[in-house]
This record gives sequence, structure tokens and C-alpha cells, in this order.
Amino acid sequence: MFMCGFRPFFVLAAGGAVLFMALWLLALGGRLPAWQPPGGIVLWHAHELVFGFAAAAVAGFTLTAIPEFTRTAPIPPRPLARLALLWLAARLAYALAGWWPAPLGMWPAALGSLALWALLLARIAPPVWRDPERAHLGFAWTMGALALLQAGFFAALAREGDALAWLHAAIGVLAMLIVIATSRVSMSVVNGYMEAGRPGAPAARAVYLARPPRRHLAIFAIGMCTAVEFALGDDVVTGWTALAAATAMLNLLNDWHVGRPLFTRWALMLYASYWLIALGYGLLGAAWLGAPLAPSAGRHLLAAGAVALSIFAIMAMVGRIHAGLWLDRRPWLPAAAAALAAAALLRAWAGTWAAASSAPLLLTASGLLWAGAFAAYLWHAWPVLTGPRQDGRDGCAEPPEGGGPHAGERPC
Amino acid sequence: MKVLTRLRGALAATLGYLWSGWGAVTSVLMFCALWEYGARIHGDLVLPGPVATLRRLAEMFDSGLAVPELAISARRTLYGLGLALAAGSTLGLLAGRSLTTAMVSRPLVTLLLGMPPIAWLVLAMLWFGMGDATPVFTVLVACFPIVFAGAMQGARTLDNRLRNVARAYRLPWHMLLTDLYLPHVASYLFPSWITALGTSWKVVVMAELLTTADGVGAALAVSRSQLDTATSLGWIVAVLGLLLGVEYLLLEPLKRRVERWRSGPAA
Repeated sequence: MFMCGFRPFFVLAAGGAVLFMALWLLALGGRLPAWQPPGGIVLWHAHELVFGFAAAAVAGFTLTAIPEFTRTAPIPPRPLARLALLWLAARLAYALAGWWPAPLGMWPAALGSLALWALLLARIAPPVWRDPERAHLGFAWTMGALALLQAGFFAALAREGDALAWLHAAIGVLAMLIVIATSRVSMSVVNGYMEAGRPGAPAARAVYLARPPRRHLAIFAIGMCTAVEFALGDDVVTGWTALAAATAMLNLLNDWHVGRPLFTRWALMLYASYWLIALGYGLLGAAWLGAPLAPSAGRHLLAAGAVALSIFAIMAMVGRIHAGLWLDRRPWLPAAAAALAAAALLRAWAGTWAAASSAPLLLTASGLLWAGAFAAYLWHAWPVLTGPRQDGRDGCAEPPEGGGPHAGERPC
Repeated sequence: MKVLTRLRGALAATLGYLWSGWGAVTSVLMFCALWEYGARIHGDLVLPGPVATLRRLAEMFDSGLAVPELAISARRTLYGLGLALAAGSTLGLLAGRSLTTAMVSRPLVTLLLGMPPIAWLVLAMLWFGMGDATPVFTVLVACFPIVFAGAMQGARTLDNRLRNVARAYRLPWHMLLTDLYLPHVASYLFPSWITALGTSWKVVVMAELLTTADGVGAALAVSRSQLDTATSLGWIVAVLGLLLGVEYLLLEPLKRRVERWRSGPAA
């Protein structure tokens, strides 16, 4: 299980997604009256899904992808196991913090979480910095930003400030990280390089190019919206920047409109998550400019929609290819992806004033769909993520080549 | 079948063109954020924000105030611009055909281009009084030299070798016109037409502000005298919106079509 970075962390991410959502739905329904984590359950829900679920996926992805991008050695099993345990300990520490003595409070959760970032960055930052082109520094910057935001969250919680603002900013940073990570993966997905070695795979064709200019504009616009929201909060100015972020994402889709090669489940999942970022920022902007809905509607399209769907897509791809298997072609996968998108849309609908009366029902339905998608992933991926490789090899290598000239050059 | 394929191609190209506009929308929205922030600092009297301005503009359209005034200004612009385009293009092309006329007209064009439109406006007020003719004439003289210079440049730079080849092969005159002269000249004319369009709107609004009792410029003068900044900005946004719409939905696609031969090998 610890032979490659993604294995334990993808298990933890998927398992965490199911567990956190189940606890949240129970707590929301009033079934867990005795459980009161510090700051309340809303903060716990937002924090664990951002810094538990999403952070685990980020850790799994970067621990696998960065060594491959920079051609450095992957993380050995022992340090990897330590990181995974640290993640588990931090999650438990937050969930149980309400029950142990007050002076101890959130310290264990905070220290555990920040130590996890420190160790992760110590693994990731040196290789991307030493890389001659430094093409992947974006990962280190965004992860550093996430670490700072989490520190800010705990500080705000301790001083009874606005802890949620730090989480909102973290969702913005996650959106940027999605764009950065997807741009590294998308070319091999859309153009078919990813499975070029699979016997019988369609020939790879270079039709799609993840060009930087539009991506930089999108990242800049999201960053600006995140910063302005952090400074001004719910405000009309923030609304305009959110709309700018939405249109910048739609602008980024220009690169993707290449016709037929887009219509594979893999490419469509990534494409749909870009759409969800655009729609999420669009709804956020509309809410801040006075449309009849809560900002949380758009926020959930971003977090529960775009972030979750892209994590799901990356886990479904990286979790197979780097375990020595070709991609999963069974129908559960598009069904689960559609469930994630539907869950996000339901959650967004629940945030409009028009649906206020049926909101509890919508929240439950959305949460169940969402958790169900990740439960399906865990069910299908468990043997692959935890078992030995079928080809008898070790580490993160891709499946043995069935042909194709660029064996070692395919990113992911 | 072939028509269908071509139609699909055209549709895809149109959608692709429209979709590429999101980048421009992004920068306009970022500007709106800055504008809104400026409004926050300076207050509604000095600088109403984009939300307030757009709300006012919507009211102006709802109450039937905006459309007639815009139509009046648009009519004046179109008259002046149409005359300038027709006269400028024809005379410019003719001037470009001969080195002598080009030599003679170049300093005159420089003179006309250097003349501030406000000076023409003063003359026009003296000559034509306060009617429609004043803004139309001002637009005409402000836009004429731009178009004239573009047309002359286009005609001057025609490739004589290509013309000789065409003559050697005895190309019929209509092919000579559509395949040789027009594509080349159009690639000089079009940019000048777009510049002229932008100039014409500006000049019309300015002329109306000072001379007429109706049109967007006159409405601006009224809202200024009432210290109604929101309405003033509403008019400005309406004019800019029209200008952007005409340029990016009409002229820019046309320009791309006309200039396709430059980038493509044989398109």
C-alpha cells in the first residue's frame, strides 16, 4: 500500500469524503447532539472537506506527479506511512477536540495539520526548485498558500475571529491548483497520450494544446477574486471580480474546443470541472451583485463540484495508471462523475431563495449523491490502491508498454 | 451535403469567434471591479459605480428616454460616416493611382488630420447653424482624412508585378477586381474604416453637446447641468456599448474575413 505516494492518500481522501459527509449529514439532521467540535459543525465540515479530503488528494497527487515531472526519486514507504498517519491523527484531533480538556483544545489538530504541510513541502519544493526550467513551481506556491491559510484558520479559531474567511480563500487557492494540475494532465488526456501504450488504443493525436496565456489570465482572475473577497468580504466589488473569474474560466475553455477528442469520459470530467469553476464563480458574483441566492450556492459549485470532480477524475486516472493498470472502462465511473456534478448542482439550487423551503431535503439528497460517488470509487479502487501490482513490479511505474515511442516522456 | 459541411464549418467558426470574446469580457469585468471600488471611495455624486450606472441605464431604456436619443445620434453618425467612407475611399483610391496626385494630397491630408474637430465644429456652427447638418458635417470632415489616407496607401502599395502577371494571362476585368485589387485595398481600407467609426461617435457626441437640442450629446449636456452623474455615465456606457457591439460583432469578423488571404497560404 505504501509503494507509491497516491495509494494511501487516495484511500484516505475517498474514505474521508464518505465519512465526513456522513457525519455532516447526521449532525445537520440533529442526530449527533453530543458532538460539538470547537467552532461549531459548519466550520468542521468546511475545514475537513478542504483540509482533510482535498488536502489528502493534493498530497497523493503531488507525491506521485512531482517525482515524475522532475525525474526524481519517489517517496519511500516509511516516510509515506508517517505522512498518512499524521493526516489521520490531525483529522481525529479535530473531531475529538470538543471532548478533551480545554487547554489542549485545537493545538493537536493545528500542529498535526501544519506538520503535514511542512513535511509535504519539504518533499515537493526542493525538486521543483532544482528543476532547470522550474516549470512546476506553481504546485509549491499553492501548497504553501494552503498551509498559510490553514495556519490562519487555526489562529482565527483560537482568537474567535472569522475563521470561515480563511477557508473561503483556501477554496480559491484550490481552484487555482486545479487549473495548474489539470493543465499538466489535460494534454495527455485529450490527445490520448495517456493510453498510447494500451494495445488497441486509438492513435494519439496532438489536437489540443494547454497554452499558458489564457491559463495565466484565469489563475490571475481567481487569485484576484480570492484576495478581494478576503479583504472586503461579501461586497459588490468582490462580485465583479468573481464574474471576471467566471469569464476567465470560460475563456480558458477556448483551448478545449477541439471537437471529437474532447468526447471521452476522461477529457469530459476535466472539462466539466472547469465549467463548474466558471459557474461557481458566476453564481458567487451574481449573489454578491444582489441576485436572490446565497454565496454558498456558488461556493459549493466550486468546492463540492469543481474541486471534488477534478479530484475524482485525477484519482480515477492516476490511481490506475501508476498502479500499472490501464484506465477503468466500466460504467460506474461516468455514473459516479455525473452523481458528483448533480450533487453540486442540487447543493447550489438549495442555496437559492426560491428553493429555501425544500433546502434540507436538497442538502441531504446532494450529500448522499456526493458521498455515494466517492464510496463507489473506494469500492472499485480499493483492491488496486491497497493490493500488490498485477505486473509484479514495484513503485509508481506505468503499465508495461504495448508499443509507442515516448515511453518515459508522458506526464502521468 | 457540401453546403451542409460548409454551413457547419461557418457555424463552428462563428461560435469559436464569439467564445473567444470571454477574454475581453474578463478584462471589462475587472475594470468594473476597479470602477466600483473607485465609486466606493469617491461617493455616488462624483462617481456612481457600475451597478448604479447600469441600473440607471436600464431605467432610461424602460422609460423610453434612451432609444430615441440614441437613434438620433446614430442617424447623424451614419450620415456623416457614410459620406466620409464613400468620399474618402473613392477619392483616396483615385489619388493613389497616380504618384502626382498622391504627392499633392499628402500634405493636405496631414493638414486635415491635424485640424482639431472642435475647430471644425466652430466653423460648422457658423456655416450651418444649430441643425442636423452641423454634427453630420463635423463627422464628415473628421473622418474623411483618415479614410482617404488609408485608401491612398492601399492603392499606392498595389503590387505591379502581380498586375503584370494578371495582364499577361488576360484575366477578365471582374476577376482582376475581385481577386487582385479588392483584397489588397480592403486590407488597408478596413482598419481605417474602424478608426473612422470610433472617431465618428466621439465627434457626434461632442458636436451634439455644444450645438443641438436632441441626441445623446444634448442629453449629456442636460444631465451635466443637473449634476446627475449617474445619468451621464449611463449615456456614456450606452454609447460605448454600441461602439463595442458594432466593432466586435460586425466589423472585426468582416475584417478577419477580408484579411484571411494574408495569413492563410491559399485561402
